[in-house]
Formats: sequence, structure tokens, C-alpha cells
Amino acid sequence: MIELLTIPGVILIIGAVLLALLPEKFRSSAFLLFPIAALAFVITRPDGYSVTASLGNFELIVMEVDALSRVFGIIFAITAFVAGTYAWHIKDLGQQVNALVYAGSALGVTFAGDLLTLIIFWELMAVSSTWLIWANRNEASDKAGMRYLIYHVLGGGLLLGGILWHYMDTGSLLVESLAQEYTIGNVMMLIGVSINAAVIPLHTWLADAYPKATVTGAVFMSAFTTKSAVYVLIRVFPGWELLIWFGAAMAIYGVVYAVICKDIREILAYHIISQVGFMVCGIGIGTDLALNGATAHAYSHILYKSLLFMSTGAVLYATGTSKLVHLGGLAKKMPYVLGLYLVGGFSISGLPLFNGYISKSMTISAAGYAHNEAAMLMLLFASVGTFLSVGLKLPYYTWFGKEDNDIEVKPLPKNMYIGMGMAAFACIFYGLYPQALYMYLPFDADYNPFTIYHFVEVTQISLMTFAGFWLLRKKLAGELIIALDVDWFYRKATPAARRVFVHGVDNFYDRVEEKIWDIAGFLTKKFKNPMLWLNPFTDRKNVASRYSPSMEVIMSFILFTILVFSLVYLT
Amino acid sequence: MKNWHWIILGILFLVTLVFEFTFLADYDSHWWNSIPAFYAIFGFVSCIVIIYFAKFIAKNIVNRDINYYD
Repeated sequence: MIELLTIPGVILIIGAVLLALLPEKFRSSAFLLFPIAALAFVITRPDGYSVTASLGNFELIVMEVDALSRVFGIIFAITAFVAGTYAWHIKDLGQQVNALVYAGSALGVTFAGDLLTLIIFWELMAVSSTWLIWANRNEASDKAGMRYLIYHVLGGGLLLGGILWHYMDTGSLLVESLAQEYTIGNVMMLIGVSINAAVIPLHTWLADAYPKATVTGAVFMSAFTTKSAVYVLIRVFPGWELLIWFGAAMAIYGVVYAVICKDIREILAYHIISQVGFMVCGIGIGTDLALNGATAHAYSHILYKSLLFMSTGAVLYATGTSKLVHLGGLAKKMPYVLGLYLVGGFSISGLPLFNGYISKSMTISAAGYAHNEAAMLMLLFASVGTFLSVGLKLPYYTWFGKEDNDIEVKPLPKNMYIGMGMAAFACIFYGLYPQALYMYLPFDADYNPFTIYHFVEVTQISLMTFAGFWLLRKKLAGELIIALDVDWFYRKATPAARRVFVHGVDNFYDRVEEKIWDIAGFLTKKFKNPMLWLNPFTDRKNVASRYSPSMEVIMSFILFTILVFSLVYLT
Repeated sequence: MKNWHWIILGILFLVTLVFEFTFLADYDSHWWNSIPAFYAIFGFVSCIVIIYFAKFIAKNIVNRDINYYD
């Protein structure tokens, strides 16, 4: 029983409960202790360590450690710490508690050894992250949060349905890799997980909700939901060929929208879809190198994407706006944030000596080694778009562009800089010393990113992308627009859906209720004195006080018989 | 962008070309490796294609007024 308390996910969730009991001034600091404790447990547990518990007839494996879950556990715990530092100045208990529950449930998913444990943490993740959107407390975030929650409840429902179906088929609840068979159970599970991985066309919740989350909430969100889904895909669906093409399509789809969008956090949100596309594609390829690439890319991605969300969050915090059209010329006013952003921007673009380089090139090379040249070129195409939108367009129109912007800039809390600094340090550290990450990778595949071929490839592509951007940069200027996506179908369908599913159902129940009242009224009226219609040959009203004595005796006898009968037979 | 920025980028590009033509032995693995400076061409063309493609669909399909959903 005591072992259950040492599960990393449970540590954070208990932490969330304790946090609510602490006085406000200790809360932010206490927040940081739990990820550290979780990290310590993740690192020290040996391979094959497991904790079991029984629930009814099921023997649950609530924690199981191997190389794959360890590397995801490490990065989730580190991110919870870094994002917690960035959010240290927040005094909102709801956000703090939910952020910790959210991080804890992501860790719970990572170490779940059976599918029931997994689904419990999975749902907890959806609910707690919704709070981080709602915590913004405006109309747009209320609505976006509700759409987000509905989407994830649907995904969780599909996953649960798939798990149950899978259990009926195979009798196994273990989290293990499935053979590529498109049975109903497998497909339901795949779709359920794909929703969280933002696989197109099931991605709209992400681009809809993340830009509307709180400044600090978005940092947590950028790390956990999609990457825990990537973990489950690596674990359960490695080598499913469909994923190659969905992944490559995601990678391109995300960057095209990132070029279109004009809100800095929306650009980054679409970029998550693109980057997760690289991972999904690697998972589809399914070789040891590709799976290592997907894992390493998830690890790197969490670091630089949280850095990017932190620095754009800092811009939003300082200026109050995240629209490119209002920004520009901030280089002199926020030079440090610019520097930190560029570390993230160069990392995500996969420039040499930053951590995107060591993991992105691994996924792309894996496609090359598998002789899937179409996928490889699609991924290279997507990385051009990455550098173009996140490495060039976003910083250019935020920090440069117009020199005469008189936008007011609020000073940032120190802890924001510390949070960003830690993430930036990690990006550069892993970029210079990839072995620190490679030694934790789960599969057995040697890879050296620092070859002349890769250097030539990446440098030529980046230089020429820069040239293209500089020529056409005026075309990317900010304007006040929203870009429609496939969420149009359900957002525009809301009034019609409401008419059918809310008003329609309401009306139906109203009618039924009315009818039932009518029937009840009719019956009470008739049964008040059934003798009136049981004995139609008299017009005399039968009133009990006028019964003859013999009739009373007969009636009492009947009643007595019924009572005896019910006593004997019904009890 | 000042002139010396462009000079640095130009030198870097020359270095990659020198590397490509002197050190690279890996000419068989992909068909495009036989095209000189393939990645430079690929990068430039992709960049132009993405910008114009995004511009095109933005203008014709996806861009709406900021209050579209309200």
C-alpha cells in the first residue's frame, strides 16, 4: 500500500492536495518540491520495477518502469519543475493545484502498466488541463475550454470503449504493442489516442484552446497532453504504417497554418501539431532508430516548445497582446526575452548545436534509412516551414519590423526569467552534448548527428529559407484575422446541433411530461370511485358508509385474505 | 540586415558547398544526392512555395474577420 504513494504521478497528485492546505506564501515554493521528488523516484527505480494493486477481479499494474517510460517520466518531471518556476508568481490556487494534477496524471499515464490505470490518468489529464484554460476567466476562454473538454471526453470515451473491446477480444489489459490489425477495438483506441496526439483532422482542439489558456497554463499544456499521447503511440502502435502518412501530413499542415496565423501563441500551437507530426511519422516507420528518434524528438520538443511558450507568454504578460499586428520593435525593450526566444526558435528549427538538431535529424534520417524518401522529403519540407514561421516570421514581427512602436512594456517577474533560462540552458546543453539524452533512449540504435552530411543539409536549407523569407517577408506581416480550420464544422454547427440535441430533447420531454400528467389526472378521477363504471346498471352513487353489514364483512374478508397472502408469499 | 551579415551568410554557404563537393561520400543513398546543392535549391523553393501556398489558401479559403464566430 505504501508503495502506491511512491508512484511519481501519485506524488504530484498528493502534492496538489497538500498544496491546497498550505498558506499562500509557501504554496509556489512547495509546488516545486513535488516534481523534484517525482524525478528522484523516476531516476532511481530500476528497469522492470513494478507496483501492483487489485481492483475487484482485476490485478492492476499501476506502475511499471522500463527505458521508454523512464525517459518520458524524466522529461515530464523536469518540465513540471521548470514550468512551476516560471509560474512561481501566480497566486491562483485553482491553477496551481490543477497544473500539478495535470503533470501528475501525465506521469501516471507514462508509468501505467495496464490500460485501466492508463484511462483513469488519461481522463484526469483532460479535466485538470481544462482548468488551465478556464482560469483565464473571459468569455473566449470559457467557450474554448468547453469545446476542449467535450473533445477530450469524446476521445477518452473512444479510448475506454476501445480498451473494453480489446479486453473482450484478447482478455488482456496490458499496455503492450499491438500487431497492425484494424479490429474495431484497436481502431477505437487508435482514434482515442490520436485525438490527444492532435492527429489531423482531429487536431482542432489544440489550436483552438492553447492560445486562450493562461500565460503559465499554456506552458504546461504544450508539454503534457500531446506528448503523453505520443508515448502511448510509441508503446502501443509502433510501426503502424498509416501513421507515417498522417504524421508527414500533420507536419506540413501545421507549418502552413503557422505561416497563415497572426497570433504568436496560435503560431506555436499549430507548430505543436507539426512537430508531433515528425514523431507520429517516426512511430509509423517503426524501426529502432525511428522510435528512438520519436522519443528523442518528444524530449527535445518539450524543452524548446515550453521555452517558446514561456517567452511568447512573457511578451503577452508584458504588453497585454499576442497579435503580431500590435507587436513589433520590442528588441530594445525586451532584449533578454528575444535572446531566450531565439534559443527556442533555433532549436525547433533544428539548427546545429541546439537540441532540435540532435533529435529532428534522427527522425528524418530514420525515414531515409528506411528508404521512405517521400516521407523524408515531406519532413524536410515541413522543417523549412518551421524555420520560416517560428525561427523567422514570429521573432521578426515581434521584436523587429517596426521601430516606432510605442507599446507599453510591463516588467517581468524574476522567476519568469529563471524558468526560461533553465529551459534555454537545457536546449543548448543537449545540443552540445547529445549523449546525455541518447543514453536514456529505449531502443538499440547508434546514431551520430554531427556528420558533414547533416551539417551541409541543415545549413543549406536554413540559409536558403532565410533568403526566401527576406525576399518575401512583407507577405507575412500581421493582420487582424482568424484562420478557419476544420473546427468550422462543429463551431458553425453549434446552433443547429443545439436545436436538435438540446431544444429537441427538451421539447420531447416537455410533451411526455404533459401527457403523463394528463393520464395521471384522468386515472385518479376514474379510480376515486370505480363502482361508478364497474356497475353501470345503477345511477346510485356507491358510498362506503351506505354499504350493508354483509357487504362490509365480505370486503374485510377480501382485504384480510390479500394481507395474509402477501405476508406468506411476498416476504 | 547589414552588409556584413550577408557576407557571413555567403561565406557559410560557400563552406557548405566546399564540404559537399570535397568530403561527401554518401552519393548513393538518395536519388537527389547526385544533384549539386540540392538542399539549397530545395530549401529556397520550399520556402517560396510555402509562403505563396499559405498566402493563397489564406486569401481564398480560411481568412475571416476576427469576430467571425461571435
